[in-house]
Amino acid sequence: MRNFIVRFLYAPAALLIFSTVSIAQTAQSSGAPKPKAKPGAFDARDFSGVWNPAQSMQPRGQVNPIDLSGHPDPLPPFNPAGQAKYLANRKFIDAGDVLDCDPYGTARNLFTPRPFENIPARDRLLQHFEYYDNWREIWTDGRDFPGDLEPDFMGYSIGKWDGDVFVVESRGYNGKQFLTWQGFPLTESMRQTERWQRVDHDTLKIVFTFDDPKMYAKPWTITFFYKLTNWILDAHPCTISELKKYDDTVSHRDNLPGRDYKPQN
Amino acid sequence: MKNNLRSPLGLLAGVLLISVPAFAHHGGSEYDTKNLVTMKGTVTEFHWANPHCQVLFEAKDDSVKGVNWAIETLAPAVLKRAGWSPETLHPGDPITITFAPSVRGTPVGMIRKVVLPTGKELTGGTIGETRPQ
Repeated sequence: MRNFIVRFLYAPAALLIFSTVSIAQTAQSSGAPKPKAKPGAFDARDFSGVWNPAQSMQPRGQVNPIDLSGHPDPLPPFNPAGQAKYLANRKFIDAGDVLDCDPYGTARNLFTPRPFENIPARDRLLQHFEYYDNWREIWTDGRDFPGDLEPDFMGYSIGKWDGDVFVVESRGYNGKQFLTWQGFPLTESMRQTERWQRVDHDTLKIVFTFDDPKMYAKPWTITFFYKLTNWILDAHPCTISELKKYDDTVSHRDNLPGRDYKPQN
Repeated sequence: MKNNLRSPLGLLAGVLLISVPAFAHHGGSEYDTKNLVTMKGTVTEFHWANPHCQVLFEAKDDSVKGVNWAIETLAPAVLKRAGWSPETLHPGDPITITFAPSVRGTPVGMIRKVVLPTGKELTGGTIGETRPQ
């Protein structure tokens, strides 16, 4: 718990300290005029900026992690336990509840139709997700996963370069969140791999591989795209008091239980 | 209650303005996005808050007159990009509001657009890959 809190306190502080430093950049002289970039030119190792999901670019036939119908087809390769957990999660979602103000985790944040900002720092890449004001650290200083990794909602991520592909490995999830908002499950066994590639100035491609043998019969992979925007992130934290107000004015009036409902397995 | 509301809702069904599914916080498919409703009313409350803002209004249309409706929107950040602010609506404001009604027949909905007292029209914003308004 302490690590969880410390990480979330560190993230904004790191933003203030390192927000002008890029993991892709070398030191630059402060007074020299910046050469004018050619239109469309980009640094393949620079992922900074505000990005927004571009779900229409996803290749057909893959699991759609952002399917707003709530009934994606095809589904991931669940094993029996994963199938049962997914159906329980669907029941929970269809009953009208959300997981209070729990952080969304990394996958669910990246598959929520809301923007996020990548903020390069000296030793890590920070991701700031607008919807729930969640933060993620992707360590880029060459470290390995700590031996005493304490599971939490956002997991622990390290990033390394494979050419111009940024490979992010994540683990240390507590399994208390959904992988996507449709209720795909995950457990503490989840090993998440992302291969980031800036394919042009405006487009970020991420190939995700999810490996959680407790929920899925085999690792499964999807490709997802994001578009660079000129938005300024306007993050709002989730608060219990606002959720309760929402339940009073909307959920309960719509004969839904709101936060009173508990997931059933 | 359900039947009382369903009938006038059918008569008031509006044009399908935006073919995006409702991304509501309390479930995935509780709004009838194919049969939008447009009503005139007076704002009673406006909550600028997460997870979604809420517009409460008292309907003026004869068929549902006096019913207090709760219309949710997307999150404040999305509304801001669509031109809203916490001062966009106040109690007493006359509005014309278009929304996707709850499939349960309750006086609840998901906003699509609102016409303010000034005549200015604001959409409920968009999520996903659409560029800002």
